[in-house]
Amino acid sequence: MPRRARSFAVVLLAVFALFTWTTDAAVRPPKLQYQTLKLDNGLTVILSEDHSVPIVHLQLWYHVGSKDERPGRTGFAHLFEHMMFKGSKNVQPEAHSSYISSVGGSSNAYTTGDATVFWETVPSQDLPLILWLEADRMASLRIDRDTFTREREVVKEERRMRVENQPYGRLPEIIYDQAFAVSPYRHPTIGSMADLEAASVDNVRDFYRTYYVPNNATIALVGDFDPAQATELVNKYLGRVPKGDRPIPRDYAKEPPQQQEKRVTLEEPWPLPGVVVAYHVTYDGHPDSYPLHIASKLLSDGQSAHIYQKLVYDTGIALTAFGGGNILEEPNLFFAVAIVQPGHTPAEAEKALIAELDRLRNEPVSDRELQRAKNQFARDYILGRETSQQKAMQLCHAAVIHHGDIGTADGEFDIFMNATAADVQRVARTYFTPQNRLVVTVLPKGGKPGDVPP
Amino acid sequence: MTRVRRVAALSAVASLILVSRASAQTATWPSESPPRPLAARDVKFPPYELRTLPNGMQVVVVMHHEQPAVSLRLIVRAGSAQDPAGKVGVASLAATLLDQGTTARTAAQIADTIDSVGGDSDTGAGRDLSHAHILVMKDSFDLGMNLLADEVRNPSFAEVEIDRQRQQILSALKVSYDDPEYIANIVFDRLVYGFNPYGAPSSGTPDSLPRITRADLQAFHQRWYVPNNCLLAVVGDVTADEAFAAVNRAFGDWAKREVPTDTATDPPQPTRRMIVVDKPDAVQTEVRVGHLGIPRRQNDYMAMDLAIKILGGEGANRLHRVLRMERSLTYGASAEMETLKRAGEFVAITNTRSEATGEVLRLIVEQFNRLRLERVNEQELADAKAYLTGNFPLRIETPDDIALQVLNVLFYDLPVEELDTYRQRVNAVSADDIARVANVYVRPDRLSVVLVGNAKAFVNQLKAVGFDKYEVVPADDLDLTTVDLRRRTSTGDGIQVALKTIVRRGETVIPERTLTDVQINVPLDEAPFKRPA
Repeated sequence: MPRRARSFAVVLLAVFALFTWTTDAAVRPPKLQYQTLKLDNGLTVILSEDHSVPIVHLQLWYHVGSKDERPGRTGFAHLFEHMMFKGSKNVQPEAHSSYISSVGGSSNAYTTGDATVFWETVPSQDLPLILWLEADRMASLRIDRDTFTREREVVKEERRMRVENQPYGRLPEIIYDQAFAVSPYRHPTIGSMADLEAASVDNVRDFYRTYYVPNNATIALVGDFDPAQATELVNKYLGRVPKGDRPIPRDYAKEPPQQQEKRVTLEEPWPLPGVVVAYHVTYDGHPDSYPLHIASKLLSDGQSAHIYQKLVYDTGIALTAFGGGNILEEPNLFFAVAIVQPGHTPAEAEKALIAELDRLRNEPVSDRELQRAKNQFARDYILGRETSQQKAMQLCHAAVIHHGDIGTADGEFDIFMNATAADVQRVARTYFTPQNRLVVTVLPKGGKPGDVPP
Repeated sequence: MTRVRRVAALSAVASLILVSRASAQTATWPSESPPRPLAARDVKFPPYELRTLPNGMQVVVVMHHEQPAVSLRLIVRAGSAQDPAGKVGVASLAATLLDQGTTARTAAQIADTIDSVGGDSDTGAGRDLSHAHILVMKDSFDLGMNLLADEVRNPSFAEVEIDRQRQQILSALKVSYDDPEYIANIVFDRLVYGFNPYGAPSSGTPDSLPRITRADLQAFHQRWYVPNNCLLAVVGDVTADEAFAAVNRAFGDWAKREVPTDTATDPPQPTRRMIVVDKPDAVQTEVRVGHLGIPRRQNDYMAMDLAIKILGGEGANRLHRVLRMERSLTYGASAEMETLKRAGEFVAITNTRSEATGEVLRLIVEQFNRLRLERVNEQELADAKAYLTGNFPLRIETPDDIALQVLNVLFYDLPVEELDTYRQRVNAVSADDIARVANVYVRPDRLSVVLVGNAKAFVNQLKAVGFDKYEVVPADDLDLTTVDLRRRTSTGDGIQVALKTIVRRGETVIPERTLTDVQINVPLDEAPFKRPA
């Protein structure tokens, strides 16, 4: 132990001697250039021109995710993402993807807790096609029992592939199930297969008419287009989609504050034990969310980060270990995970993870480390704006998750750059407390006696 | 231009008026065909500069000034195919150790250096190549270049770091061995390439890893990490002069040395064989069906690539149509053509619930037969070609994309003109060409099949779909080094043998996909649920 401490000090000295300039301010990413429109039907439109390559990217966010699902109706948002490829008035089932690939484009969709996102990237001359396709399925999706039943089978295969048939595939489900009692993030995005079995076609139509409406959607076009022409085309195709005819519910159950540490041990058929230390935290855009993101960087970004250094490199307790905030539109979790190496115990891993989180509470982070985290943020900003798809994602995320405050796409950069060591310590003290903590230990099912403590 | 804009603006106003009228009549969504495209735009391969240093190192510079970042990608023309006999994993371990200490910097110093400037770094090896990649912001360009040169030229291969990385890999194998997808890939490669080095898992095995010594790593480095065996791409917010000057400072005094000639042998010809890896707790079966294909530098590459695209790639994908769209048997199905320096493979990939395994296998074999026996429909071919040509501008969007296209051509010793003639070459392929290559290279009677899943749920279906011979290997007994893939004797620990193979499919040399450090895929980064393209 003393030997390691000394060599660490030597390392630090050497690094200071060589690289004192690294405390300089981070390189500043260029600002995104865009304009926004609001159509009469409520659709928010973001246009960002970039003529460097003759392609155009369309990204369409519906502000509905798995947190909008009611108990007994989980998995709808994601199943809907699938249904949107099953045909509409002028588009045959599955033809959407064929249209896109036949012009050389790419397209896909994904669902999160907060949003369902559809996107296409195509050669720039095919802008009319993608606007027409998105409008057709926004206005006139085909929903019939047969298609619904068959697509449900595909989703079941997806769940088997991603969740059930993979080592550690169920870990996120376990964490969220244990952490929350009533939060809408408690259930996994892919949902319950039993709920999907129980769903009627009427339930599905109802979901579509409530959430898949222009006034619940934000579309970004990024790439090689003429803004006047693009505006005309957006109006022509998407402007004619009727506005929704019912209110969009936004009443999310509030998780009551946790009063004392919760500890759970369970078994899964996994090869090595896993330990999770989780804390309830705030929502995306809350002033505390920025120092929490910095805490994620300090703990887990790069091989010099605290958790990697301590659990993986120095002690070898963990095969892999990381921690960070999953900060979404409503309050969520900050958690750290370690997969325990043979020869070490889950108790050691738990102690080491908590020690790293406590360290953020007990001592202010050094100026040098804070600057490192800020430089890593600057890198993420810069690398996160290389493709038209990434730019569209930054813009849509700001517009949707920050409720119309699209300026945050660039504006948050300064918030991060101005964060102080005191801010980080303050949020660590607010959230990383024993009474706000969940510890989950997952032991290999049928593990050999003596492998791990009972 | 001004006139066009004004007209467009006027019609925008007109369509706004139409909108308000249309929204009053909600029930009547028009019946119509898709709109026509706008005027096509010219696509040119972006400019780049190529130079060879006096010591033989090939350097590509791609200037791109939108974002203030520079990426440095170095490729060494040697990978696990050059591992010494019985010591598979040397190339991979050597590459993993590049950023774990040099004669001038400790592992911790390297990590601190790159993290402090908000950079990023990774290293690894595939079957044909090893790579080191450093990304920095513009203001740290010299720091990044110097660090890269130090890592590649002066790795220390310290015993303590070797042991640390070795232990990490061995532990990660325990996890990988529980992943059916992973097992399916390594067993399939073993069937296709046999005991050729391409058939061995790049990261080594629990048997080979403990045997690797510091001297092996140093010898591999000494032999292959030579400037005249390296390619370097400098990409991003620099000028060509800045880039070449920095490369000269960092690598100019690296002495040229003779590189050993390649003595590798060709893999065996395809033979029909089915391996069932029994994993009783599996809820799905991972399916791989295919056989030996062609190397990257081969005249039939383009026609064959299109044929495999028709079988299971973008733009056509018969497998996806039959297995997912028509029958909901899987979340995704595809076929890929992997092409390496000396050989390659065709493979159909899917997964399905255990009970549907036989049916899925029958349908896949049927599609291999159809590809060989039936002339492709002109429309299917046109769609597959349209995909490849139309997709080209999407593949040169970022500076790294552009660099990878150039590195790819250089790595396989293809003419650089190919970058400019890509679309013409795609369009030149006819249905006759497809029929010819399918007839020559596709052998449905000699398929290698790997099924990883709960054997008792499906083995009784196999005979009915044409496979009355198959070998069942319990997952815990799997051993890639024996003829029957079964472990001979039980060794006390290290029971589980599995290593990450290099998943490097398709046309490009993409260092991200050649990461050899065995990674556990703990799906916690809020992986959204994606639909395959």
